[in-house]
Amino acid sequence: MQPVAIPSGRRPDNEDELVAALRRGDEAAFVELVERYGAMLLRLARTFVRDQAVAEEVVQETWLAVLNGIERFEGRSSLKTWIFQILSNRAKTRAIRERRSAPFSTLGGDGADEAAVDADRFRDESHRWAGHWAAAPADWTQLPEERLLGQETLARVNEAIQTLPPRQAEVLALRDVEGWEPAEVCAALGISDGNQRILLHRARAKVRAALEHYLSEGAAA
Amino acid sequence: MSAVDHLTCQEFVEVLTDYLECALDADERAEIERHIVICRGCTNYVEQTRATIELLGRVGAEDDVDGDGLLATFREWRAGRP
Repeated sequence: MQPVAIPSGRRPDNEDELVAALRRGDEAAFVELVERYGAMLLRLARTFVRDQAVAEEVVQETWLAVLNGIERFEGRSSLKTWIFQILSNRAKTRAIRERRSAPFSTLGGDGADEAAVDADRFRDESHRWAGHWAAAPADWTQLPEERLLGQETLARVNEAIQTLPPRQAEVLALRDVEGWEPAEVCAALGISDGNQRILLHRARAKVRAALEHYLSEGAAA
Repeated sequence: MSAVDHLTCQEFVEVLTDYLECALDADERAEIERHIVICRGCTNYVEQTRATIELLGRVGAEDDVDGDGLLATFREWRAGRP
């Protein structure tokens, strides 16, 4: 992140102190908050809204809403969860207003009935080894590291996240991109642990499939 | 998981997240682990899934936060308060 001008005040470190300082209009507290959650909000906004400029506006609106709402923050959820929920609501509002085809414009998509891997990758019922791989996954550990972990591959990961149904994209972004604990994700999204796992399962499977498609390109050459 | 005694690869890929999230009981875990030992394809699938999670953790790590812009927003907000 860009360095923020260092203010003179001492930075509050615990959450209650941070909230109290922010209510007093303490600039150091705000800087601390931006350092903690600024990059997270930007990444999540880009997950939820495709257009870069709109994503940045959503983040800007979120910060203003955080400042305007800090007086009413009751500490029933963590500050991180509360800020995330503001962002999520803003992003949804924008997506609906702009009738976007991007995430949030399509409803549903828990994907409980989707297969993690296409059925045609497995041997069918007529086969002695029904349900076992017909076209087994490749060994990615044999790939050069710059191919597996390179910028182009990361760009494909981003594209794959963008095409996920909204609930799957949210869970995946919070769990695997931001590294939240399952319980935090359940609380922030108001979903059960089982539902959270299903959404995560479908989302990871789709990103894996997209990567498999990309990484197999040129493999035969 | 009813067919856990004779897990197929198609079933394996559907319970992998439950396995990685430690949401299976001991018998189910053992069945999964037995399957990994004998199945090259599913071993690769697990590795691919781990690589996918690793890549997801690297997404957007270098996002630039507009600190100066946010500070201006903050000062404007503070100045406008009653």
